Amino acid sequence: MDHALLAAYARRFGIFIAFLVLCFAASLWNDNFFSEGNLINVLRQSSINGILAIGMTFVILTKGIDLSVGSVVALAGVVSASFATLSTQMMITDLFGLDIGAGPHWVGIAIAFGLLAGLLAGVINGVLVAYFSVPAFVVTLGMLSAARGATQVFTDGMPVPALSPDYRWIGTGELFGLPSPVIILAVVFLVGWVALTQTRYGRYVYAVGGNEKSAKTSGINTRGIILSVYIISGVLAALGGMLLAARTGSALVQAGQAYELDAIAAVVIGGTSLAGGVGTLFGTLVGALIIGVVNNILQLEGVQAYYQLIIKGGIIVFAVLLDPSRRQGS
Amino acid sequence: MKSLITSVSLAALMAVSSGTAAFAQDDPIRIGAALYGLRAEFMQLWAAGAESHPAVMDGTVELTIFDGNYDALVQQNQFETMITEGYDAIIFVPIDVEAGATAVQMAYDAGIPVIGSNTRINTDYVPQVVEDGMYQYVGSNDVLAGRMEAEAVMADFCDAGGRVVIIEGPIGQSAQIDRREGNEQALAECPNVELLEMQTANWSRAEALTLMENWLTSYQGDIDGVIGQNDEMALGAIEAITQAGLDVGDYSIAGIDGITDALVAVQEGTMVSILQDANAQAQGAVDLALRHVLGEGYEPMSPIWAEGDNWYNYGDEMPWNGGADAEYNVPWTPVTQAIVGELLDARQ
Amino acid sequence: MLEKWLLEVDSVSKRFPGVQALSNVQFRLRPGSVHALCGGNGAGKSTFVSILMGFTHRDTGSIKLRGQEVRFSTPRQAMRAGMSVIQQELSSVLDMTVAENIYLGREPRRGPFLDFPTMNANAAAVLGRLNFPIQPTAKLRELSLAERQLVEIAKALSHEADVIIMDEPTSAIGEAEVERLFETIRLLTAEGKGVIYVSHRLSEIFQIADSYTVFRDGGFVETGAIKDIDRRHLIRQILGGDLKDEFVKENTPGATRLLEVSGLTRTGHFQDVSLQVHAGEILGIFGLMGSGRSEFFECLFGIAPADRGEIRVKGERASIGSPSAAMALGMALVTEDRKESGLVLTSSVNDNISIASLKQITRLGFVPRRREAQNVRRMVDYFSIRTPSVRQLVRNLSGGNQQKVVLGRWLLTDPDILLLDEPTRGIDVGSKREMYRFMSNFAREGKAVVMVSSELPEVLGMADRIVVFRDGRMAGTLTRDQATQESVMHLAA
Repeated sequence: MDHALLAAYARRFGIFIAFLVLCFAASLWNDNFFSEGNLINVLRQSSINGILAIGMTFVILTKGIDLSVGSVVALAGVVSASFATLSTQMMITDLFGLDIGAGPHWVGIAIAFGLLAGLLAGVINGVLVAYFSVPAFVVTLGMLSAARGATQVFTDGMPVPALSPDYRWIGTGELFGLPSPVIILAVVFLVGWVALTQTRYGRYVYAVGGNEKSAKTSGINTRGIILSVYIISGVLAALGGMLLAARTGSALVQAGQAYELDAIAAVVIGGTSLAGGVGTLFGTLVGALIIGVVNNILQLEGVQAYYQLIIKGGIIVFAVLLDPSRRQGS
Repeated sequence: MKSLITSVSLAALMAVSSGTAAFAQDDPIRIGAALYGLRAEFMQLWAAGAESHPAVMDGTVELTIFDGNYDALVQQNQFETMITEGYDAIIFVPIDVEAGATAVQMAYDAGIPVIGSNTRINTDYVPQVVEDGMYQYVGSNDVLAGRMEAEAVMADFCDAGGRVVIIEGPIGQSAQIDRREGNEQALAECPNVELLEMQTANWSRAEALTLMENWLTSYQGDIDGVIGQNDEMALGAIEAITQAGLDVGDYSIAGIDGITDALVAVQEGTMVSILQDANAQAQGAVDLALRHVLGEGYEPMSPIWAEGDNWYNYGDEMPWNGGADAEYNVPWTPVTQAIVGELLDARQ
Repeated sequence: MLEKWLLEVDSVSKRFPGVQALSNVQFRLRPGSVHALCGGNGAGKSTFVSILMGFTHRDTGSIKLRGQEVRFSTPRQAMRAGMSVIQQELSSVLDMTVAENIYLGREPRRGPFLDFPTMNANAAAVLGRLNFPIQPTAKLRELSLAERQLVEIAKALSHEADVIIMDEPTSAIGEAEVERLFETIRLLTAEGKGVIYVSHRLSEIFQIADSYTVFRDGGFVETGAIKDIDRRHLIRQILGGDLKDEFVKENTPGATRLLEVSGLTRTGHFQDVSLQVHAGEILGIFGLMGSGRSEFFECLFGIAPADRGEIRVKGERASIGSPSAAMALGMALVTEDRKESGLVLTSSVNDNISIASLKQITRLGFVPRRREAQNVRRMVDYFSIRTPSVRQLVRNLSGGNQQKVVLGRWLLTDPDILLLDEPTRGIDVGSKREMYRFMSNFAREGKAVVMVSSELPEVLGMADRIVVFRDGRMAGTLTRDQATQESVMHLAA
């Protein structure tokens, strides 16, 4: 078979094979690894990072980067959660004299406002990158700081505690025997996969990342595409933030710190090129699962957290090292 | 939502203009509080405590709070600012025991007293400062808290035996080191109790949640108790247990600090929390600072020094002693059903 | 130096996974001569140059420099030994000065510090020796492409290189600069240096080279003196067969005006351009580098805004604010630089061909795979694009096939007016002819081609009318009958 084609297949499936080998090794190491409960744990623990990483994949495919996702996680978490506490609900009822009662519809309102916060962050990022040509690294570094600050202002630094059980369901519930975060990850992945592989939009994303000039000459609204990927990342970060708040029961100002790094790691392990134009969501999903499995097995075996960080760092570099087509200068 | 600093200075302004200052001063006394960071609930409670000190409320003191953003260098820069601006006293909550001595020395050289609060500095580096009484400390003994919470977890099975896990703070931080020492003291007294795992979750609820989920897999039904070195992590463990479909009632769980969510959990009976009184640490520090500025005859204004039956009157266990002690230990208060309602009301 | 040969290469072979890139090739370079290395794409010229310079290593064979057997493992060793290469893609650091670029990596020092005065003085000496009017302290970014190339040559000379390899040195510069380059080459050979000249442009080879060697499909074909052969012979050797005519021209211009431009101006780039293109016509635009021809295309296609002027398409006044607006009017633009603005190198042949016409086939945003595959297959067949699969990454194709991919992309949008900017740059003789055939067929269907080219024979051979640009203005229009090499150059320079 043709060498380049072989390399393309290796890129696509090599990481998946590495993942299977990792799982096999983990099961030899710990008898409980392959238990149903533990596999569900791994999925659940990977779901938030997976969702963030899917958004990050869109951004990185266009040669960009979104460093603000961790802060947007916190911002959307507190914004959304504040609508899921009784006190805010009462305050709003008083303020507008509009009594819509308590109940699950507040969950809808809470989610809507959380997503809105993510959307807003994404629009600001995207407009600055696409229309004002500020480098993505700079824009999102600014947003990393600004969104964290906004979170602090919004809450006066205090957590938003005691979220309603209805709201908490989105993080702790079950559907078809699977935890709700896993279901949400699956839906996000499926929608993202269809968008990237089956639609014109997806082709445009790859084209803009691969060669923006060419894409522009081919009649593509490149700025619109770039704006859109930051919106996707912002909205998915918001979704992740709400899941985190719902899982832990309260939204914290310090939530989500350094989450952007895990998301970028999943994307890179999954074979997406930071130079843009190359990568798959499937790879990203596997990348997120690899990080999840490594954390899981090391914790099952009682390895101290700091060694886990070293091992994770090693895996990121090793994943890129293994794939010759991703090394520089080749 | 208003920011803390403006609300403090606004209160000071109003008090001064209405002429109700207890100590007639032309200029208010300026005290700076360098806190390692404002992102967690505990330091927010600390700040709220300091700003509600009677001397701040009546305008005698103009209190400025500095957010150190979890960075020792930022804190040092803030010290330089306060020295240049000629603050009368500095209250200092360093990010780490080993990270504050230089800043304290700088203040000492400028003749400004420093009151440590919540986290001490390593005074071995600055013996002269301590000898001259220019560094005093108000805080709570973390070893004791570690011991109290571990004892609470093992109360029911110390003799009969059981299995516990410890969720630690970031390894190497002074609170983690001291609380672990306390945990271990308590464990030593219960030789039948087995310690299954001891790992860090970096004070984080989300990390503790993941950690506990994985331990529940490893040890199935074998865990009897969870010792969280702070409340956040204990709450994470509770979430993991609940979400695994297990009964929290089967586990004995404790944390430290008394954050709001933990108080709710105590009320529900799912955990024990040892309250670290942020308010007392803050107000005690303000009183000590005022004694430096106003002289030896100063009588502390905060109710925490009073002797009384309220849980927050520490006069018996922590006497004022003329404000001359090098160290004041604010007692820990186990959160009981009797006081939890009152505490929760105060947080609203 | 009395050796007969400066460089002797015998029986060199090189195998890459899946391909025999070179087999048993030989090559001889005489001191004080220019030796042209000829061959189509995939002939092995690039591999050969890489081996000479130590970028890649040969499997077998021998290379002797001044009679000494050499085996370079790094380009640095090769340069120390007196080999130097000036590459297609210049490797200069744009934000450094001319002197800094020339002495990059071997800067003169005084103690631990760079000795800038010595460096600038040395650079000035080298530039002076070559009669280059370039300041050593100028930043590379401020120089034109051609000037940057001269800096590369100065760099090679400063190495005291005896063998200078020039890989497609004229691909980015205009005719006037080519003349200056040739003067420099003559200066170098007069000093006894040997130049290996790699180029697709046959006319240049006949102008400058003394001898030639042809490679085809990784093998050695023949070598000899340029004075003994003609153009036709060389083409035959490169292609391995006969090429009937170099150009294909079977279209005849009609009367319908497809495109009319009047008074189009983009300040600082071009001014007052007025021209008409008719159905069935191939309009040639000739101009030297920097004459504003590429910028004119960018304005026509909505990439850059015009300041003044009017564009009419099929008689209708058009306002073209973006490429998609131009496409909606039936225009298509094949840009000058395939790699920089044409292809999405990270994507497959399939995705590159279909990208511009997706709007026409998608339903509710979804790409109908079968319809897309049919379209792509049609283009691959129509242009006989050689690729193992349409899933192949386009970066792995040869230059000629890459250019066909770009053409396929635009043909799928079903354009009436095709704008071609340097359509045959960097592609081999065989592919060029296919390109000419395509242009001719396209115009024959009653559509129009506007072609910008700096290769004069090509413009003369293909265009029905020639518009000459000079310094951003139209210097004149010549009909096919009026146009000769001399008349066009007279207007252009």
